[in-house]
Amino acid sequence: MPFDAANLVPILPEIAILITASVVLIVDLYLKDQDKGLNHSLSLIGLVIAIALTGAVGGGERQIFFDGNLVRDGISDLLKGAILVVSILAFIYARPWLKDRGMLVGEFYVLGLFAVLGMLVMVSANSFLTLYLGLELQALSLYALVAFDRDSKKGAEAAMKYFVLGALGSGLLLYGISMIYGATGSIELGPVAQAVAAQGIANKVLVFGIVFLVIGIGFKFGAVPFHMWVPDIYEGAPTPAVLFLGSAPKIAAFALAIRMLVEGLPSLHADWQGMLIILAVLSMGLGNLVAIAQTNIKRMLAYSAIGHAGFIFLGLLAGSQQGYAAAMFYAIVYAVMSAGAFGILLILSRKGFDAENLEDLKGLNDRDSWYAAMMTLVMFSMAGVPPTVGFMAKLLVLESVVRIDLVWLALVAVAFSIIGAFYYLRVIKFIYFDRPAPDAPILVTSGGVRIAMTANGLALLALGLFPAALLSLCQAAFAVQ
Amino acid sequence: MGFEKFLFYLFALITLWAAGMVVSRRNPVHAVLFLVLAFVSSAALWILMEAEFLGIVLILVYVGAVMVLFLFVVMMLDVDIAALRAGFIDYLPLGLLIAGIMAIEIFLIVGPANFGLHAFPAPAPAGTDLNNTRELGLLLYTVYVYPVEIASVILLVAIIAAIRLTLRRRPDNKYVDPARQVRVKKGPDRIRLVKMASETPVPVVAPALEKESDE
Amino acid sequence: MLDNYLPILIFILVGILVGVGPLALGYLLGPRRPDQDKNAPYECGFEAFETARLKFDVRYYLVAILFILFDLEIAFLFPWAVVLDELGVFAFWAMVVFLGILVVGFFYEWKKGALEWE
Repeated sequence: MPFDAANLVPILPEIAILITASVVLIVDLYLKDQDKGLNHSLSLIGLVIAIALTGAVGGGERQIFFDGNLVRDGISDLLKGAILVVSILAFIYARPWLKDRGMLVGEFYVLGLFAVLGMLVMVSANSFLTLYLGLELQALSLYALVAFDRDSKKGAEAAMKYFVLGALGSGLLLYGISMIYGATGSIELGPVAQAVAAQGIANKVLVFGIVFLVIGIGFKFGAVPFHMWVPDIYEGAPTPAVLFLGSAPKIAAFALAIRMLVEGLPSLHADWQGMLIILAVLSMGLGNLVAIAQTNIKRMLAYSAIGHAGFIFLGLLAGSQQGYAAAMFYAIVYAVMSAGAFGILLILSRKGFDAENLEDLKGLNDRDSWYAAMMTLVMFSMAGVPPTVGFMAKLLVLESVVRIDLVWLALVAVAFSIIGAFYYLRVIKFIYFDRPAPDAPILVTSGGVRIAMTANGLALLALGLFPAALLSLCQAAFAVQ
Repeated sequence: MGFEKFLFYLFALITLWAAGMVVSRRNPVHAVLFLVLAFVSSAALWILMEAEFLGIVLILVYVGAVMVLFLFVVMMLDVDIAALRAGFIDYLPLGLLIAGIMAIEIFLIVGPANFGLHAFPAPAPAGTDLNNTRELGLLLYTVYVYPVEIASVILLVAIIAAIRLTLRRRPDNKYVDPARQVRVKKGPDRIRLVKMASETPVPVVAPALEKESDE
Repeated sequence: MLDNYLPILIFILVGILVGVGPLALGYLLGPRRPDQDKNAPYECGFEAFETARLKFDVRYYLVAILFILFDLEIAFLFPWAVVLDELGVFAFWAMVVFLGILVVGFFYEWKKGALEWE
């Protein structure tokens, strides 16, 4: 069979990541303990090359490759770039933590890079099979990252829970896919959409399949009632692993929902919209209410992640291009905010000490006022306080819901986000109005971490002031369809 | 058709029975062996559906490798079965209720009403010369070559994760290195071959002197 | 296609018959008068100390899982070998990439000492 080498062009970023991961894996075998920092540099170089390649091959018309298994369009370009940027932040924040604990080994970088690879595969998937394989690649790497600290009982328990519930979620998703395949005879998104449009709602098999797809997506987002795993895993897993699974995978989960529901089953929008409304209301409600009661900041951020998943669903369920763009904007912004929040926790940690409780943030302003300012920006943004970008993101999804005349849903969302603002502002109170613990040492961080955190925090402000930079890209991604 | 139908129900019943035994056996090793039976009979079901390659792979990979791994794990964990089973009877009614509801729901959806022969007519049986493996290969290495390569990356991740999570060198591990055990040290351990002239037996001299030196 | 499998079905049936038949005959025809002492585990006059099952070392698990992964790789090789003639160079390179990725993993496990038993 003649093979068109043009097929390889759109996956150049993926190939770059794969080669980087393989090189790190092999090079690590020959590195002495004091030279392990090379893994870090190699990984970052690979990620930067992948970003450059994404930019180089991106843009232009939507194209299908590999006999319909792969698509390159505005969505995949933008989401790939966002995932890679957030991953760079995550690697930079994780390094001091790993070094202090003697875990600065190649496997961490390799597994992290493979998780990134899985996400890239997901966002550019054009068939259910590719989506599922990308999801599994990402999930498998993340399970191992959660268990990465082998001597930690909590980490092992968290990994076990994550694995069992993740496998359950994947299994349900696969079951849904098999139903869709049974009803439409295809696993490629385009033909599935055509077959579904021809059959309509009359086919109960399709409805049954959608139920399982939505459940699977709910699991991956950690939306209520499929959220049980989120708090325990955020609490038990080592913080760098949480940083990885709490940031970029949300973007990938968004891609999963877009590809499956919007591109695969657009004509059944009325059916999945109802399910997403339930998921959104429950997630926003439970996430924001329970987060108030947390004293462990990792658990608090876990419930906050659940709440934010609800907001992303608001944009998805609107079913309009404007809504999808808003949800995409929200997902990307959330990933950046989440990376910043966990990055601060990693900065606060030191050898033999993990910042896990809200008290650990006390008096951060006295210890390092710049990081305090950055954390304040992150918290304001998560709470949705103007002029940070979190406000714009919430405004956009609410607007999309109001446009389809679901005003009550928008009111519910506003109410819950006001409730949620309480616990974010409480963190800021700890930072500025409480004394630091007497034994808290001065924060010592490398220049790279400081630059990354500065960029991370200021980006939230800059995007809030000039949202059009990212928003126009999001809108363009959905406009071409 | 009649005979195939009979075989289908036979193997389906064996599968269901074995799966039931897996969850109800007290001894986990027996449970694993019943799981093997469930896999073998589902392989037979797949072959009945003319997916012969998948059926054979199911036996090769699952029965041949995964079940061995399961046995290792079951033996490795040394769990207290009695404690695990303590709540079995208590939870049984609720579990049966949920299982029953699920079964009815699945039957309503996947049952004859939606997935009957009218919606999905049985394909004509393939001829004896159809090579299922070949058909699969033709698809895998043309249309689905991208997913195949992703699958190999997933296998690679599994290798790395398994090694990272289970391989550890403990300094206090006690073991015998056979190579070092049989190796002799330079010096007294070694047999030294000495070249020398043959000696004639020396006649015994001066027993008195020897006695003296003994004392 | 299924006709090809009829001999295998017959083979399985005969195998079951040969295996189960003698056991069933022994069960039905042989004299059995069990009592409590006969059924008790025999351990050279001592009471049994513990269950006969020993804990396995975690290293068996590692060997088994590495075996599974390469076993799966073989499952991909079979259909490839069958169609290589027809698909030619493309399928060849597809498999080179597939195996190349796994060889990286194999090299890693080799150098890491995962295949050594100490």
